[in-house]
Amino acid sequence: MLQSRDGSRMESLGQLKTLVSVDNKFVKDWKSRNKPVLGYAASYTPEEVIYAGGILPVRVFGRLEPSKLADVYLPVNVCSFAKSCFNRALKGELSFLDGYVASNTCDNQNKIYDFWRHRTSIPKTYFINTPHSTSENALKFFHKELERFKEWLMKSFGVEISEKSLKDAIKTFNENRKLLKQVYALRKPNPPLVSGSETLEIVLSSMTTPKDEHNKLLRILLDEIPRRKDPPKKGVRILVSGSIMSDSAPIKLIESVGGSVVADDLCTGSRYFWNTIEENGEPMRAIAEGYLRKVPCPFMSSYEERFKHVKEMAKRFDAKGVVIFISKFCDVHSFEAPLLAEELRENGGLPVSCLEWDHTLTGVAQLKTRIEAFIEMLEE
Amino acid sequence: MTKMNERRLETLKGFYQNYVKPSYENAHRAKDEGKLVAWVASTFPVEVLLAMDIIPVWPENYASLCAARKVSVSLCELAERKGFSKDLCSYARCVLGSLFDGENLPEGGIPKPDILVASTCACDTHLKWFQVASRIFKKPLFLLDVPYNVEGVDAEKLEDYHVQHYVSQLEELVGLLERQTKTRLDKDKLRKTVELSNKTSELWLKIQNCRKNVPAPMGAREAFSAVYFMLCIPGTEEAVDFYRRLCDELEQRIKENVGIVENEKYRLIWDNLPLWFDLQFFEYLQGLGAVVVAETFSHVWAGNLNPSNPYESLARKHLANMANCSVERRINLIAGLVKDFRANGVILPTNWGCRMMTIGETLVKEKILERTGVSSLILDADSTDWRNYDEYKAKTKLEIYLKTLK
Repeated sequence: MLQSRDGSRMESLGQLKTLVSVDNKFVKDWKSRNKPVLGYAASYTPEEVIYAGGILPVRVFGRLEPSKLADVYLPVNVCSFAKSCFNRALKGELSFLDGYVASNTCDNQNKIYDFWRHRTSIPKTYFINTPHSTSENALKFFHKELERFKEWLMKSFGVEISEKSLKDAIKTFNENRKLLKQVYALRKPNPPLVSGSETLEIVLSSMTTPKDEHNKLLRILLDEIPRRKDPPKKGVRILVSGSIMSDSAPIKLIESVGGSVVADDLCTGSRYFWNTIEENGEPMRAIAEGYLRKVPCPFMSSYEERFKHVKEMAKRFDAKGVVIFISKFCDVHSFEAPLLAEELRENGGLPVSCLEWDHTLTGVAQLKTRIEAFIEMLEE
Repeated sequence: MTKMNERRLETLKGFYQNYVKPSYENAHRAKDEGKLVAWVASTFPVEVLLAMDIIPVWPENYASLCAARKVSVSLCELAERKGFSKDLCSYARCVLGSLFDGENLPEGGIPKPDILVASTCACDTHLKWFQVASRIFKKPLFLLDVPYNVEGVDAEKLEDYHVQHYVSQLEELVGLLERQTKTRLDKDKLRKTVELSNKTSELWLKIQNCRKNVPAPMGAREAFSAVYFMLCIPGTEEAVDFYRRLCDELEQRIKENVGIVENEKYRLIWDNLPLWFDLQFFEYLQGLGAVVVAETFSHVWAGNLNPSNPYESLARKHLANMANCSVERRINLIAGLVKDFRANGVILPTNWGCRMMTIGETLVKEKILERTGVSSLILDADSTDWRNYDEYKAKTKLEIYLKTLK
C-alpha cells in the first residue's frame, strides 16, 4: 500500500486524481476478483446498500466532449451531462459495468433512462423511485423502495446483504464523509492548503473507489498536506454552486484568473457527503432517512435547506463571492438559480455571478471573460 | 373558405367568450369575495379542491391563452430579464413574466393564489415553477409527490405502495385544506364530484371515438379547445352538459357523413401540445386535406374513477398517466391510436423547454414505425414561444412528409 513519505511529493494527491475514472485500478482489481460493479447516476443512490452486498458502486461521469453517438438519438435541448453519460455507454466505455442504477431525480435522467434500456447493452438496469419530498409519508415510501432495491441486488447478483454488513458499510461511508470534511477544513486558511480543483477531484475519486481504500488514501493525504511545498496561491475566495461537475475544468478556469475556490455547493461536491447517516437503529431506515434528508438537490421540494447550506458554507469558508454554474437544460437548477442569487445578494451580502455552461465546454472563452470580470470586480 | 366555416361545429362557436373568459371573470370575482383560490398544475386531482369549494385556476391554461393573444413572448422576455433561462418551459416563463408585469394582461391576469398545488406526475417544471410563484406570493405550496411509473403499467396493475403513497398524501392535503378553510370535507360532495368527473371522462372518450369515423367529424383545433373541461373542471355539471351537446352534434355529423374536412386525404395523430400562438395551423393542415383525428393530449386526461373509493381511484388514474410513465406507455398509446383511428401519419412536435415530452421522440418514431408501419414526423416547435419555431421550415417539412404518406 502507499506509504506517506516525503510530504512535498504529495503522492496521495496524485494518486487520488488518477482515480477520477470509472475504470480506475481499484475498479479493475475488483472486477478481476469476479465481484460485480454497478454504475449509478445520482447522489441519491444508497451506495451503502450496494457496498454491503460486496458490489462496488461507481458513479458514472460524463466527459467534456461532444456526444456524437448520443446525438443520433437525443435532441439538442437535453442536459449535456446526462447525454454524455449515455454517449459513453454507446461508445462501449462502460462495458465493464454489471448493471446501471438510475433514480427519479429529474426529467432528463428519467427520460434518458428509456434509452439506457433500449439502446445500451448494460446487462441489468434498475430504477429507484426517489421521492421529491422529505415528509414522513415520503420517508416511509423511500424506506420500502430501498428494501425492494436490496431484494433486487441480492437476487440479481446472488449476494447476501445482512444487517451487520449494512451497519459496517454505514460506518465505512461515514468515515469517508468525516475525512472529506477534514479535507474541506484545509481550505479555511488564506491561502487554502488544497485548491478547489484538487478538492473536487478528491471528492470525485471517492465516488469511483472502494470506500475502504479511499479512506486509507485520505488519511495519508491529511497527513501529507500540512507539509506540502506547493500550496495553492492566494486569490479571491470563491464559492461555486451548481449541479453535477464531473471534471474540474470550470474550477480551474476560475483559478486561472485569480480566483481561489474555497467552498462549493455541488452535487458532486459538498452535497455528496455533507451529512452522515445515523449509525444506531435499523440500518435500512437510517439509510433511507440519511439520503432523503441530506442537503437537497433542487429536484426536491425544499430549496430553503439548500440555500441555508450555501450561506453557511460561504460564511464558514469566508467566501467573498459566489459563482453559480447553471448547466444548460438543467431545469431544476435553472429555476432555482435566480432565487438563490437573490437570496445570496440580499440576505447573504454576497456578490453573485450566474453562468451558463455545458459539458461540451462550448463558449469557454466567453465563460472565462465573464469570470475574469467578476474576479476583477471583487478585487476592487 | 366559406366551406370550412360552414363545417365548424356549432357547439364550439364562441367557445372562448362563452366558457374560458367567464371562468376568469368568475375566479376574479370569487377572489374579491374572499373565496379561496388555488393555483393548480395539470395532473393534480382537482376533484378534491372542487369538492371543497376552492376555486381552481390553471396557469398552464393562462399561458396558452396568452399565446393565442400573441402576448406570450413579451411575457417570457420579462421572466428572462429576471434571470430565468430561455431554455425553460415557455408556459412557466410566460406565467412568471405575467407576475413581473401586472399591466394590460389578458383577462386581468391570473387571480392571486391563497394556496398553490402541484404534483410531480408530469414533470419537474410543475414543482419548480410553482415553487417560484409560491415564493413570490408568499403562499404555501402543496406538493403531491408521485412515484414514477417506470414500467408504464396500467392503473389496475400498479404497485400497492405507490397507490398508498398517493392516497396518504391526499389525506394530508385534505387535512391541510380543512385547516385553511375551517370547514370539513363533505364526503358526499366529493363522491358527487368524482361521479361527475367520471361521467365527464366517459363522454370525452365517446367524443374522441366519434373521430374514428371516416370522414372525421372533428379536428384538433376543436379538440384543443374542448379538452378544457376534461382538463380543468372535470367534476362539474357544466362539463357534462357541454360534452353531451358536443357528442350529440358529432353523432349527427356522422349520420349525415359530414367531415370537418371536405376531402379527407390524410388522417393524422398529433402528439404533445399544439402551437397555441398559431391554432390556424390546423386549418392550414385541413387545407392540405389533412385532418388530425386524435391527439395524445386528448387521451391522457380521461380515466376511470370509482365514486365510492375516490382517493384510490384518483391515485390510480394519475399514476398511470402517460406523462408519469416510461416511454412504452406513450408508444402503446400512439400505436393504439394509429390503428383504432385508421391514421396514416403521426406528428411529433417538440417543445423547446419540455424535457419530458421531447427526449423520447426518436424512440417513439422508431417503435411506431415498427409496430404499425406508419412513419412519424418530428416537428421543431414550441407551445408558447414562437421564437423557437420556424414557420417556413416547419411547413416545408410537413408538406414533403405528407406527400410520402400512404
